[in-house]
Amino acid sequence: MGEAPLLEIKGLGKRFAARQGREPSPWVIQGLSFSVQPGEFLTIVGPSGAGKSTLLNMIAQIDTVSEGEIVFNGEALASRDARALRPGCGRRIGYVTQDDNLLPWRTTFDNVLFPIEVQGRLDAETRAHAEMLVGAVGLAGFERYYPHELSGGMRKRAALIRTLAYDPPVILMDEPFAAVDAQTRAQLQADLLRLWNLKRKTIIFVTHDITEAIALGDRALVLSRQPARIAAEHTIPIPRPRKVEDIFAVEGFATVYERIRAAIQ
Amino acid sequence: MTQADLTVPIPSEAPAVSRKWLVLGGRVVLAVLLVLGWELGARTFGAVFFASPLDVVMRIAKLAESGQLFADVASTLRVSALGFAIACVAGVLLPFLLRRSPRLSEAVEPYIMASMGIPKYALAPWLILWFGIGDMPKLVVVTLMVFYIIFITTTAGIRGVDQRLVNMARIAGAGEAVIAREIIWKSLLPFFFTGLKVALPRAVSATIVGEFLVATEGIGHYIEHSRQVSDTVGVFAGIVIAMMLVLSINAVVNVVERRALGWRPVEREMEL
Repeated sequence: MGEAPLLEIKGLGKRFAARQGREPSPWVIQGLSFSVQPGEFLTIVGPSGAGKSTLLNMIAQIDTVSEGEIVFNGEALASRDARALRPGCGRRIGYVTQDDNLLPWRTTFDNVLFPIEVQGRLDAETRAHAEMLVGAVGLAGFERYYPHELSGGMRKRAALIRTLAYDPPVILMDEPFAAVDAQTRAQLQADLLRLWNLKRKTIIFVTHDITEAIALGDRALVLSRQPARIAAEHTIPIPRPRKVEDIFAVEGFATVYERIRAAIQ
Repeated sequence: MTQADLTVPIPSEAPAVSRKWLVLGGRVVLAVLLVLGWELGARTFGAVFFASPLDVVMRIAKLAESGQLFADVASTLRVSALGFAIACVAGVLLPFLLRRSPRLSEAVEPYIMASMGIPKYALAPWLILWFGIGDMPKLVVVTLMVFYIIFITTTAGIRGVDQRLVNMARIAGAGEAVIAREIIWKSLLPFFFTGLKVALPRAVSATIVGEFLVATEGIGHYIEHSRQVSDTVGVFAGIVIAMMLVLSINAVVNVVERRALGWRPVEREMEL
């Protein structure tokens, strides 16, 4: 552990506010701790309803923490009080959510440019970078289409490069490829790995798909059932660059897969 | 999914064209029937109670020739448009301000709802007492009439905004002003246009009713003046002019709406 971690989660806990006259809600997450190194591709696997999205929402600062601490770049994020939350932590934490959340009144390219535009950084250089990304994920020719005119996979790509285009050092991804067919998903995973290889960003990628967790990650954390805690941690020994399509034929895949599957039970 | 897809008939190119002509033909037939019914009414009840369509058209042509038509329309339009504009600005700004403070919003809401219950026309005599017989009393009534409609549709639009889009924008670094302009305003535009279209005829009606009471010109003044001299043709002509005014403004709103909401996926066949 030579380098200082970029992001540290310490004893994190979350329970939602109780409604009047009811028992306080159970802990969704409790005593959750892990850290992320700069440039690391961390995947988090867990059963559905394990609180994976809640965890990312707290790191992205759109939801409050009930106990514990999130330390980002050595700075503790004030996240108990909803009004003190700073979503995206000053543009340093990007978030690709499960729904694409594209703005329906903006064309594909204008959606990709949205963050750059609101940050007041739209110039020839950032525009060219965005154009490059549009081409890299095969959306060239669809720049002027509205989201409802795109397929599910294309919308996912647009949402992905919208976050990549403004270049936040950390990107959270919440099952971004869950709602597309298997073939499109493999293509999207390959796109993501290719883009990540160009610029090694820190990525925290949440999924319930063990194969996806292995194919993409340097390290995979396994979450327990509620209240979520780290049940296991596995370094993925598969060298990069990886080929997503035949990842399961690679030496070492089967062993890691079995171990993660056992930990999820 | 696939079963449902199979049962939906797929419209082909050719019927779409003949369908368009069918609709147009239907409209022409309805128009002829309406005019015939109108003429029949005129013949049955007599010219004192029911002006014949031809007389009304002739009267409108005469009013246009003398220039009185344009003076009256301009007068009515001036009051309606000004009241409409003030009401739109206030009806949009207030919900945006209340959005920033849920507690204030909760405190104010019952008072806004209660004041909405006041019949606006009932205020007219009191307003005349205050402001005299100029444009002001009419302007206040029009503004109040339109304000509540815009306020309620805008509030509903703001409540319907997808919070996930707001979160996305915040994470991307958007400030509150950008979120209001780029997310909230764009999301509520369809609600806003619905409000505009509901409010539009009411704004013109309110002006006309105001003109019945106090005016020296305007469509309402012409109608009321015609009534006083038992000029049924004049009353009918005024109503037709008012209707045409509303339809013309509506057409303009439709054009603006189509440009503003061009991104929407649905092809709207019925235009209100």
